[in-house]
Amino acid sequence: MNPHAKLVFTMSLVMGTSITISSNHWILAWTGLEINTLAIIPLISKSHHPRAIEATIKYFLTQSAASALILFSSLTNAWFTGQWDITQLNHPTSCLVLTTAIAIKLGLVPFHFWFPEVLQGSSMITALLLSTLMKLPPITLLLITSQSLDPSMLTFLAISSALIGGWMGLNQTQTRKILAFSSISHLGWMIVVITYNPNLTFLTFTLYVVMTTTVFLSLNQIKVLKLSTMLISWTKTPTLNASMMLTLLSLAGLPPLTGFMPKWLIIQELTKQEMTPTATIITLLSLLGLFFYLRLAYHSTITLPPNSSNHMKLWRINKTPNTPTAILSALSTSLLPLSPLIITMF
Amino acid sequence: MSPLHFSFYSAFTFSCLGLAFHRTHLISALLCLESMMLSMFIPLSMWPLENQTPSFTLVPILMLAFSACEAGAGLATLVASTRTHGSDHLHNLNLLQC
Repeated sequence: MNPHAKLVFTMSLVMGTSITISSNHWILAWTGLEINTLAIIPLISKSHHPRAIEATIKYFLTQSAASALILFSSLTNAWFTGQWDITQLNHPTSCLVLTTAIAIKLGLVPFHFWFPEVLQGSSMITALLLSTLMKLPPITLLLITSQSLDPSMLTFLAISSALIGGWMGLNQTQTRKILAFSSISHLGWMIVVITYNPNLTFLTFTLYVVMTTTVFLSLNQIKVLKLSTMLISWTKTPTLNASMMLTLLSLAGLPPLTGFMPKWLIIQELTKQEMTPTATIITLLSLLGLFFYLRLAYHSTITLPPNSSNHMKLWRINKTPNTPTAILSALSTSLLPLSPLIITMF
Repeated sequence: MSPLHFSFYSAFTFSCLGLAFHRTHLISALLCLESMMLSMFIPLSMWPLENQTPSFTLVPILMLAFSACEAGAGLATLVASTRTHGSDHLHNLNLLQC
């Protein structure tokens, strides 16, 4: 892509995100969301492949509808209460429409159908942007308005997201779709605790961004788009495959790794709030995700693959140092002992 | 609720339902999206008139500008879909199922 155009789109993404997360007025929040949508459309459709165009159409329709619904909910609230301030969203209809609109934007469960297909149709780096940066403004709006939203609806969205994210990820062989379903189930974990302790939602989101960025960057480096390619990818970068195994297990939430921290704190908060059945159900549902993460980790570290060698064994190893992947991979596996410090920071 | 509020709600709701139940063509979905934006432009324009706050008159113009940009992006994706899929029929968008 033309470097000037790429610069404009990247700066617009940053600007749109900054506008939404720093706004007090609903119109400005909506403006930031629109700028984000407009800026990422060319990035998804960059390759002009039919799958990319299809992903662009699906993304555009769902996100524009959701932005219109957000504007409608703020307008309704303004007509009834005279307030345009984001923290003052109190009218019940507005809260319901806003929850629906943000669920569409994030890809929470009854509205998740666009997300795996859009991730599948875009390149790895664009899929990374869609999973991490584009989720930040809607999560921010949800965090700011979380006190007035309906807790039972949010719990329903959360548990069904964990269920569908875990269950539908089991049958996937394309790595981008697996990461899409992992994203959906992580969002479920974020939403389940938002009315009780929004700081935990933000902590979960931050750690999710770190771990997901690591996985996406690692997969981008070894150019793995499906599981059968992953079986023979260890010859390119053996160390990266080994560290990717740890990062994937961290995403699954296994104890000595970072990904356990948000799950632990969320379960603790839910039991403090007398929501023990919710905590049990959502923990059991994350076992479904554990299965496909384990399968990915197994595929990434296997050295005698069952598929026959149509590919020559690669002996020219790509030695360019990849600093962001290294730093993020270290963060995403070793932050658990620092949990007391991290809890005080959020 | 007053007849005015009811008319705004029903305009938006019908456009939203039109977007949700679109059947064949992408362009009908884009039209419903535009009518959602239009049905929000009118109440936003009435806000500074009713509340006598001239500083708020920028907001409907800002909203209209962004919805026009979005409509342009939507039409660009329509043209792109015609180039790759041959038409704007929505049931042709099934390459990403597997």
